[in-house]
Amino acid sequence: MANSRETLLEKYSAKVYKNRKDHLLQLAEGDKNAAIAANTRAIPGVMTARGCCYAGCKGVVVGPLKDVLVITHGPIGCGFYSWGTRRNKAKTDENTDKNFIPYCFSSDMQESNIVFGGEKKLEQAIEEAMELFSPKCIMICSTCPIGLIGDDVQAVARRTEAKYGIAAIGYSCEGYKGVSQSGGHHIANNGLMRYVIGTGDKKPKTKFSVNVLGEYNIGGDGWEEERIFKRCGIEVLNLFTGDASYEGLKSAHLAHLNLVMCHRSINYIAEMMKTKYGIDWIKVNFIGVEATCKSLRDIAKYFNDAELTKRVEEVIADEVATIKSDMEHYKSKLNGKTAGIFSGGSRSHHYQVLLQELGMKTIIAGYEFAHRDDYEGRDIIPQIKEDADNKNIESIVVAKDDKFYKETYTEEQIANLKSAGIELDTYGGMIPEMIAESVVVDDYNHFETDELIKSMKPDIFLSGIKDKYSIQKAGTASRQIHSYDYSGPYSGFRGAVTFARDVAMAIFTNAWPLVTPPWKNKPMLTGKLKEVG
Amino acid sequence: MLNLNVNPCKMCMPMGAISALWGVKGCMPMLHGSQGCATYIRRHMSTHYSEPIDIASSSLTEEGTVFGGEANLLKGLKNMIELYNPEVIGVCTTCLAETIGEDVGAIVKKFYEQNSTVKVINVASPGYGGTQNEGWFVAIRSILEQMEPNKQPNGKINIITPMISPADTRWLKSFLKEMGIDYILLPDISDNLDGATEKHYERLKTDGTSITDIAAMAGAKLTIEFSEFTDEKNSPAEYLKETYGVPYVKLSLPSGASGMDKLISVLTEAGGAPSDEIKKARGRYIDAMIDSHKHSAQARVAVFGDPDFVVAMVWLCCENGALPVLAATGSISPKLKEMLANETEDCRKFHFAEEIRVLDDSDFSAIEKGCVELGANLLIGSSDGRRISRKLNIPLIRCAFPIHDYIGGQRTRILGFDGSLCILDQAANAMMEKTEGSFREELHEKFYKPQTAKKAADKTATHPCFGEQACQNARVHLPVAPKCNIQCNYCLRNYDCMNESRPGVTSKILSPAEALERYIKLKANMPSLTVVGIAGPGDALANFDKSAETFRLIREYDQGVTFCIATNGLLLPQYAQELKELDVSHVTVTMNAVDPSIGAKIYKYVQYMGKTYTGIEGAAILLANQLAGIKMLSEAGIMCKVNCVTLKGINDHHIYEVTQMAANLGAFMTNIMQHLPVKGSAFEGLERVTNKEIAVLREQCGANIKQMTHCRQCRSDAAGTLDRDVSIEFRESVPEKPGPEKFRRFAVATQTGAVVDMHFGQADEFYIYESDEKNARFVETRKVIKYCNGPQCENKEERWNSVIHAISDCEAVLAVRIGPTPEKRLKENGISAITTYERVETAVLQAAKEKRRNTHGTA
Repeated sequence: MANSRETLLEKYSAKVYKNRKDHLLQLAEGDKNAAIAANTRAIPGVMTARGCCYAGCKGVVVGPLKDVLVITHGPIGCGFYSWGTRRNKAKTDENTDKNFIPYCFSSDMQESNIVFGGEKKLEQAIEEAMELFSPKCIMICSTCPIGLIGDDVQAVARRTEAKYGIAAIGYSCEGYKGVSQSGGHHIANNGLMRYVIGTGDKKPKTKFSVNVLGEYNIGGDGWEEERIFKRCGIEVLNLFTGDASYEGLKSAHLAHLNLVMCHRSINYIAEMMKTKYGIDWIKVNFIGVEATCKSLRDIAKYFNDAELTKRVEEVIADEVATIKSDMEHYKSKLNGKTAGIFSGGSRSHHYQVLLQELGMKTIIAGYEFAHRDDYEGRDIIPQIKEDADNKNIESIVVAKDDKFYKETYTEEQIANLKSAGIELDTYGGMIPEMIAESVVVDDYNHFETDELIKSMKPDIFLSGIKDKYSIQKAGTASRQIHSYDYSGPYSGFRGAVTFARDVAMAIFTNAWPLVTPPWKNKPMLTGKLKEVG
Repeated sequence: MLNLNVNPCKMCMPMGAISALWGVKGCMPMLHGSQGCATYIRRHMSTHYSEPIDIASSSLTEEGTVFGGEANLLKGLKNMIELYNPEVIGVCTTCLAETIGEDVGAIVKKFYEQNSTVKVINVASPGYGGTQNEGWFVAIRSILEQMEPNKQPNGKINIITPMISPADTRWLKSFLKEMGIDYILLPDISDNLDGATEKHYERLKTDGTSITDIAAMAGAKLTIEFSEFTDEKNSPAEYLKETYGVPYVKLSLPSGASGMDKLISVLTEAGGAPSDEIKKARGRYIDAMIDSHKHSAQARVAVFGDPDFVVAMVWLCCENGALPVLAATGSISPKLKEMLANETEDCRKFHFAEEIRVLDDSDFSAIEKGCVELGANLLIGSSDGRRISRKLNIPLIRCAFPIHDYIGGQRTRILGFDGSLCILDQAANAMMEKTEGSFREELHEKFYKPQTAKKAADKTATHPCFGEQACQNARVHLPVAPKCNIQCNYCLRNYDCMNESRPGVTSKILSPAEALERYIKLKANMPSLTVVGIAGPGDALANFDKSAETFRLIREYDQGVTFCIATNGLLLPQYAQELKELDVSHVTVTMNAVDPSIGAKIYKYVQYMGKTYTGIEGAAILLANQLAGIKMLSEAGIMCKVNCVTLKGINDHHIYEVTQMAANLGAFMTNIMQHLPVKGSAFEGLERVTNKEIAVLREQCGANIKQMTHCRQCRSDAAGTLDRDVSIEFRESVPEKPGPEKFRRFAVATQTGAVVDMHFGQADEFYIYESDEKNARFVETRKVIKYCNGPQCENKEERWNSVIHAISDCEAVLAVRIGPTPEKRLKENGISAITTYERVETAVLQAAKEKRRNTHGTA
């Protein structure tokens, strides 16, 4: 196990070795400052787990906006493949009379549209959409050919706004842009910041209002968080963007505090809202009982209200007591087991906390599309070199908003809060919290997954659908950590129990001991044949 | 929809091409394009097959789109060989590679210069070039085209299938063996996409059709291609014939006895023979057909998917006496209709069905519409039908790619006798489950709870519009239907539909849940409420989902209440059956003409089936649907009233014909209505037909059909506790004021409703009260256009019209103050003004007494 990294890298050709060696770390004892290469191009042909820019924009960030009619502009495939695949749950609420989550809209371009341009078809598609669904907001997401054939989706969006008096946003999130989904997240963040956030005036009802950024409500995670918040008396204005609505996001800038779950996909908005509106953000984690408690206490500390602090402590005491015996039961089963986690850009960190609570060790952790700050912490940002691929993704600069900018704390007060252990306006990254000898992989691929499992033999591997079946076929339990295998929620207090049960279920399924049939090696029954006669 | 695909019933070419390559031994597929394509396709295939799906990507970035993807592709090929050591690599293009014009053939040539041990097949599969079905065949054809052929005659039979499940592929192989056929199957996905868990796991799939076998296809004696939809450009069989002279037979997928018998005949001719086991399997299938015929015959099936799948399932349905009401594919495949026409005709006739709908290039919004219109009760296809299934409560048999909400996609069976039985059993069981789940309740409702399901006669007797003696009964119109699908020239769309609701008032639209809430509230305060109507503000049927949901919710709450709707009739034929099922017992259809040339003058346009029609064409479509719809209603035992707006110089000479036609179609009564010009509408300047003329018309038409003349009584009571939802028939056809011997009516300007506290000019609504001097009774509130004092305001006349119109049945207005001009104008219209600052009830009682004194005084 100690040299799993070397064993794996040796199998690569010199060229691939040169590239991959910086993306693969095996942590030494006490090494909290290990550096890793990240957010660079994937190597062709090695079966990367990464998706594309369109997937990050449409699939992850804007797709879950329930009252937005999202049209995929392009041939049919991309629209179809991003239709209902993320398990981001949504229900209609007071903000939305329409819920488009079960729908897939595509301009379904044909060969002639590629040759002669597809703008006209897109505009006609929008007209049909208006007639049929009359949404308040339309978003257009571009697929690969759009940028190449010169269709201007932004111009179409502007014309749509003028013609129908609704909001319309065009995203140039062609699949080939950037190096992974990450570029798409950034493009989507920019669009929401530019055109949506700050255009509403629905004021919070309480003085403790928050947006939960980077919570996509997979398997109902956001709802479990909302349940806890409600008990504590914390008002959730928006989940970004699980179960979110265009209508709600418009007034997101009126929140008192931003909480960041998935740092990777939404830190841009957190930062921009801090600059433009003066809203602080706290890096929270609601995966794991201890992590949830800490996040709640951090929020209470930030608001610095005796009544709120008291309520938070009461809720924590009550919730923890409720799940205690369940958690102890699962811990007794899982204690000492090991795990590997490959996820998108934040869960590999989040779930280590929960696994640890169950007595498990995380020995492999990797991300598809994280940046160095997700591994090493935001302090590294000034040192990150921009390359050609990243430059292609627009970075927007926002200024203080005259009307809404309001600082809650002075710089000194913020420094005090930080030294009290709150991750305020910053994030420390995953690597500093990992154990010695564990392996960290950036932009993991199928080959590396297989090899690491072979050499490090974790009891369970948490990953996505693309790896799931090869992991299982190779004899290791697996849970999907992107979509939770139709389970969930995994967040908060109740989610922790659901997760513990699912992990125990996977490791202890009766199939594992049956893989090798008993009759293959030795006879099942012993005895002598009686002589007939 | 022509340009917007709403919930696609198709995927892209690379999906099919990759799937086919999984059936080649030792093959690793790669997508040349941006890496998202590989990721999305891996994700979708893995979910369906529960198998690892390795698809490499050349991971093109922005740089590649500028300088071409050659470097990435060559690098990718090299890395794949190092990591997987495959025998074959299939490179499929994507939208991106094709749009930038990659010459993959040339790149592959370059690759061969450095490497000769691995076979590379390139497949041109742009995402915009077709669906997964085309991608599948293009890949097979490319494999054959790029293979070194072995033309040595080998006496084997080539087998080419469209995309079928691994389980069906396994069956096909064992069946061919059982028939004694020596075959080469391409592609063979049976093990690669449905692998076992064993001690050792190999990353590279080791099953599938080998390169040697593929080469030998050139020397086969026959090709059987299970597709009716391939053409000379993409048919693998055609290629083998053209290039190597291998003859071919094209068959549809072998489902059902007819499909299987055809296949067995062909194979027998080719030297095979059905074994005893095959004969027994056939016998079992026929046995099951007989056993489940009565269940199968209940099924009205909607089939969707790839064309060959659809054909196989439609024929299976027909063979088993189920009616395939809808056959749809997302592919552009005009041939589908032609393929199905003859086979389904007998089935259609046998079931007395009007239509078997065949759609190509369709999406799930079109399929859903078809399911509703054609009354489908079973869906067969992929799991993408689950949304329709849930929404319309129709069971779905999942047996085509992709299946994402169930497991076992790799094990679905539709082929052969036992595969057909899988479908047949599921279909029959779905029908039985429906019966099992509902028939007790139905019987109970029918025989033991007569009081809850009221008879039509009872309902009519208690319906304030239909029953003459029903004046004590109240009704509520719930405004849940905002959209309208026609434009009448007398109607101004900014406001409600004039026919069915008061003009000049844009009422709040209620959601079905809110409508239920309003009903519950009203019912609690008004036990006499016996009728719920949906009369707009648009058209009840143009918003059928909303209307239906409202009725369903209210029916759950109240078993006894009567349901009625008002409609222009355009969608009646579509929904007549549903209305019956929703227990709607009364329908009002507004039909202003039975001659399209007259209708053309009345209707500006008619929107039907996604198209807008104008002039005679539009009027004719509307009329045809009205006539068919009214007939269907009367046949279904639904009471139908025909409203007819009398338009001077346009249809006033034609009313007699309208009522005659209504009578012939079985309508219950007609309501000849006065036209009230709405400012801004096309008929704004049209002269009004007088009350007298209306009365004469009614008398004449009374010879044809029962006339509605009793609006007056209805109005006072039905409107008694309702505010804005009063439909026009009650309002406009009774301009007469209540007689002096009865109640007198007053319009009160009040903000709170307690005290007469508003200036006449400030009021944007009036509280209408009735009094017989002993009691003062609140009737309703009526909105009017707000008065404006601005110098540029052009609304004054409109305000006046709206006020006069709203309170024309009142004897006096009660307000705190009123200006001299308005007072004068009111007086011209026979309404006096009383200024007071009193409690409303007191003021009304006083006014009633005063009025009587005045009347008597002047008499």
